[in-house]
Amino acid sequence: MSSDSILDMRSGDPRPQQKESTSKSNDARSPAVEIQGLRKVYRQIIAVDDISLVTYRGEAFGFLGPNGAGKSTVVKILTGLVAPTKGTVRVLGQPINHVQSRRQVGYLPEFPSFHRWFKAREFLEFHGRLYGLRSTFLEKRIMEVLEMVGLSGRENQKLGTFSKGMLQRIGLAQAIIHKPELVILDELVSGLDPVGQRDMRDLLRELKTEGTSIFLNSHLLADVEAICDRVAIINQGRILKVGAPAELFDKKKVLEVRVDHVSAELLQRLHTVALDIQHEEDKPDILLIEIARDEQSADIADIVHACGARLYTLAPRHLSLEQIFFQTIDALHQ
Amino acid sequence: MGLLLITRFTLQEAFHRWLLLAMLLLDILLLAVFALMLNAAYSNELVHAPSQSNPQLFLLEFDLIISILSVWAAYLLSGALAIVLSINMTSGEIEAGTFSVIVSKPLHRAEIIFGKWLGYALILCTYTAMLFFTFLGLIFWRTGYFPDNALSALGMLEISTLVLLALTTLGSTVFPTLVNGAIVIMLFIGAPLASFIQLITTPGPTVQNITTIVNLVIPTDALWHGASYFLIPSFLYSILQQRGILKDLNTPFTSIQPISTALFIWAILYCIVLPIIGAIRFQRRDL
Repeated sequence: MSSDSILDMRSGDPRPQQKESTSKSNDARSPAVEIQGLRKVYRQIIAVDDISLVTYRGEAFGFLGPNGAGKSTVVKILTGLVAPTKGTVRVLGQPINHVQSRRQVGYLPEFPSFHRWFKAREFLEFHGRLYGLRSTFLEKRIMEVLEMVGLSGRENQKLGTFSKGMLQRIGLAQAIIHKPELVILDELVSGLDPVGQRDMRDLLRELKTEGTSIFLNSHLLADVEAICDRVAIINQGRILKVGAPAELFDKKKVLEVRVDHVSAELLQRLHTVALDIQHEEDKPDILLIEIARDEQSADIADIVHACGARLYTLAPRHLSLEQIFFQTIDALHQ
Repeated sequence: MGLLLITRFTLQEAFHRWLLLAMLLLDILLLAVFALMLNAAYSNELVHAPSQSNPQLFLLEFDLIISILSVWAAYLLSGALAIVLSINMTSGEIEAGTFSVIVSKPLHRAEIIFGKWLGYALILCTYTAMLFFTFLGLIFWRTGYFPDNALSALGMLEISTLVLLALTTLGSTVFPTLVNGAIVIMLFIGAPLASFIQLITTPGPTVQNITTIVNLVIPTDALWHGASYFLIPSFLYSILQQRGILKDLNTPFTSIQPISTALFIWAILYCIVLPIIGAIRFQRRDL
């Protein structure tokens, strides 16, 4: 052991040099999470059915699926909370039942539920000590992570007085207090207001830049789009597809067009530039027009005017996650 | 290391809960009432003692009865605390979802169970000893009586408390909190039934066998009887035997025989083996 390493051990920092991107880049393409033939059956219900995937060190990996898809079961298996029925799972090169490998893993559960009597500082101290951190490093690190998650000045406040969003933040703080190599998050922004959501996404991006591997379980497309390099879509316990978010979600360009009167001529002429035209349900004056390129919006306006109609609205229509998700699932099934 | 952290955490948690504080406050109130009643009752005994054929034996009888009753109260109170304090030891954490961030840490699950067990054991043993010595201390202050084998009696009480803790530890890894609570309370309250039935019937093999089975399932009542044996001064046994009234001390609350060695060893094993089974069960449990 080098003298530097000895000093680092004395300070209590379990991974003193790991935050340097250079050291992370050495590990590039070595697996963070390896899942092979994973199956989990609760009594007779199949929660996870023959899942195999690999995520890499330094990568932010998103696990996207609807409620009940099996996402949380996979996360619970990765964190040792649930035993797999079949298959092998390795985290940072170690089997999941290897207790010491968990020193390099941080975990934020879906519904952070903590002991209400803890003060924020006591809570982080307890969890830091469970990770094997020592006093000198821990004291400093507690203040650092409180700052990182936006809870500076709250160190002496009891968790029982925290809002749901604050609990989410302190939950993330305990997950990163030991500077883990891998952070596993089961839903990042549930309970957070828009500012909190932005803050958490920024923090995760920062962790990613520092080389921390991220495994993000989410049903929010915005989360995985903002943070993840690759995404797996899971439904009914099976992985449907794995790839970069842009590849997986073929977003259509849809315009919402409201006019005073929809004539047959107008529809006919719109069809010459549109890929598809749908009527908004129960609103005959609103058309949903799918176009190939953004500049075709101007053509749509010209056609409306040329047909003598009055144009009230012409705006892009964003598809909800549900629509995109089910479109993707439908496309994959086809 | 992890085990001691969990023990420390358990101690911290117990002191943050209102339950322990409420029990301590009620105990202080109970002890104050007991001290007042003891003072009044003993003064009354002192007035009547000279008119008795043997005033010393008359007062000793009072000292003995009040000692047994007060230690019995300590036994019941420490048993009650053992149940209410530890009944949700594991199941409560699972139900509240608070275990997710602890079990996922670099810890063996057995460390969590044994760490919690150790924390509760420290609290309960301290509580039992405090209550035991406070009761007997008050009696000694007023009457000058202190049982010769008080430490042996306390040992029995401590093991009895640990038996209940062992039961709640195992039950908490298997059943939901309410079910575990119902089972342990039923066993604790039901155990003395065998002693009552033994008293009102002519001793026979069937009753004896059932009593043995009950004591194996829940040895708390047998341990209490073992404790009561040590509260009676040894010289009194010979006096009562000479007068042919020794059997009068064989009641549902007291015993003229110490606990059998086999049952004592069983109770010790009970305290050790049940938490181990609980830890094994928890090791395999999905959270």
